[in-house]
Amino acid sequence: MSGLLTAVGLRKDYPMNGEVVHALRGVSLTIERGEYVAVVGPSGSGKSTLLQLLGGIDSPTAGSVHLDGVHLEALSDRELTRIRLTRIGFVFQRFHLLPVLTALENVELPMAEAGLARAERRARARELLRYVGLESRVSHRPTALSGGEMQRVAIARALANRPAMILADEPTGELDAATGHTILSLFRRLHDDGATLVVVTHDEHLAREAGRVVQMLDGRMVADPSGIAPEQVADGC
Amino acid sequence: MRHRVRTVLAVAGVAVTTAMLLDMVLLAGGIERSFTRLLEGRGFQIRVSPKGTLPFDTEATIPDAAGVRRRIAADSAVVAVGPVLATSLYARHGDSLVTLFGYGIDPTAQAIYEVERGRDLGPDDSTGVLLSVPVAERFGLVPGDTLILQSRLDPEAVRAAVSRRLVVRGIVRWLYDYKGQPSVGTIVTVLQDLAGLRAGDRVSAFAVKVRTDAEAAAATERLRSALPRLEVNSIADFVRRFRERLVYFRQVSYIIGSISLIVTVLLLSTLLSITVNERRGEIATLRAIGVARGTIVGGVMLEGALLTLVGGALGAALGAVTATYLDRILTAFPGLPASISFFVPDPQSLTLAGALLVATGVLAGAYPALLAARAPIAATLRAEAT
Repeated sequence: MSGLLTAVGLRKDYPMNGEVVHALRGVSLTIERGEYVAVVGPSGSGKSTLLQLLGGIDSPTAGSVHLDGVHLEALSDRELTRIRLTRIGFVFQRFHLLPVLTALENVELPMAEAGLARAERRARARELLRYVGLESRVSHRPTALSGGEMQRVAIARALANRPAMILADEPTGELDAATGHTILSLFRRLHDDGATLVVVTHDEHLAREAGRVVQMLDGRMVADPSGIAPEQVADGC
Repeated sequence: MRHRVRTVLAVAGVAVTTAMLLDMVLLAGGIERSFTRLLEGRGFQIRVSPKGTLPFDTEATIPDAAGVRRRIAADSAVVAVGPVLATSLYARHGDSLVTLFGYGIDPTAQAIYEVERGRDLGPDDSTGVLLSVPVAERFGLVPGDTLILQSRLDPEAVRAAVSRRLVVRGIVRWLYDYKGQPSVGTIVTVLQDLAGLRAGDRVSAFAVKVRTDAEAAAATERLRSALPRLEVNSIADFVRRFRERLVYFRQVSYIIGSISLIVTVLLLSTLLSITVNERRGEIATLRAIGVARGTIVGGVMLEGALLTLVGGALGAALGAVTATYLDRILTAFPGLPASISFFVPDPQSLTLAGALLVATGVLAGAYPALLAARAPIAATLRAEAT
């Protein structure tokens, strides 16, 4: 099993209003270290569900996900939580920062959970906020930040524990075009600095930035020009 | 603190229920503690009174006080025996007679007063008198002044009233007096003369002091055997009887205290459940970024505990104020000794109440915490996104 992340034959069904929704119908892909992958497709095509399965937030109805050779579905909730904390960084459309904490404290949060010493995590949180251009906003609470600033804090938070991979779900979805460009530049910089990125997006600009674009439709991967073909992966396993 | 008004209301609710709990805890054992403290105040552990009575409950008297005193003092554990005679008498105030409550005491062995001003009577001080503050104020007397005391008029016996001019030695606090009670005290023989009880050497009761509290029960038993025609009780006996009389009072306190705890649990559970529901997205995010279930559960429970602690602190202050106010109302009940209190703090009870309150806060946070911990991450994030 090669690659940083390998997903094989992912299926996800869940009930909704008394019916079963087939969100994913057998998706396979491999993501190499340092890759910048955009997952695109219309609403309801299964992009976000795929991201959740790749990030160990949800478990597939069938199929498997391996991160650095670790089979995520075989892990206990505690182990999976630890993987999410230390190996994966998440960025959400709606930022989801804790409103009672300052920008600095929000970035510190995952490091505190990981058990880093206070001085060390404080220094790293400052460093990360400087990296995303918010060194002057460290003491501000989310309510005092703009949407773009909140998303940059969320990106800094995602980087806190030096994850192997960043997963972002519509990171520019709540932002205007100009602010979206700031985030886009930030992702480009992250990628240039060696980060592995998987971004679910409707944003064509953001998708164009990625080195590889995976297209989803109706729970299936319909195009992955630079990746390994699903059939090849399925056959290989 | 995201919803300040809601948080303030919840804290206020917890404060009110805490105040209720505190008052009920103080009330449940307060009067008993106060009563015990009153009886033990001067260190006399045993009381001897006429058969079938409690001290000062009736006008019954014990004859041959000197003989009985000798027999009590003969017990090896007894170190002091104080006779007390209680009767009503009069004092002349201008043209009228004022009814007073009179105590005949032996100042060398007394369990019923404390000198506040002036000095105590001497052992054979047949010309001195001690006054309660209400008497001193009503008659405008200070130590060194004189007061004429007069016995009861008995029209049937056609007995002439006996009167004595006495010098005020001191102003005292009579421990068993109700608020405003006009009491005076003389040595036993003076009061016996005034009350016409000298011939039979009669007294109302004896207060007995034994060497140590541990010896009180055994000494009580020996005195019971030695004085079968008299009522002999230790303070522990009185407290036991008192407790039996107050059992319903105590039960009501427990019930109201329990209700206040239940209300606290419901109030906090409701508040925290609403909070958790409102923060489902946030909690799902925290779980998604790797925050452990235990941390989430701990956070919700900590919130409950903090609300309880803040509300509890305010409630303790509120409870102290209401207890003082209620105590003033209840102790104004006629016939109750002024030194009795209904709301008496006791470190053990207060610790128990505090522990119960913190446990309540934690318990109240348990269900919402469980809700938070069980929230499905993916489904919640999906719902948040739509």
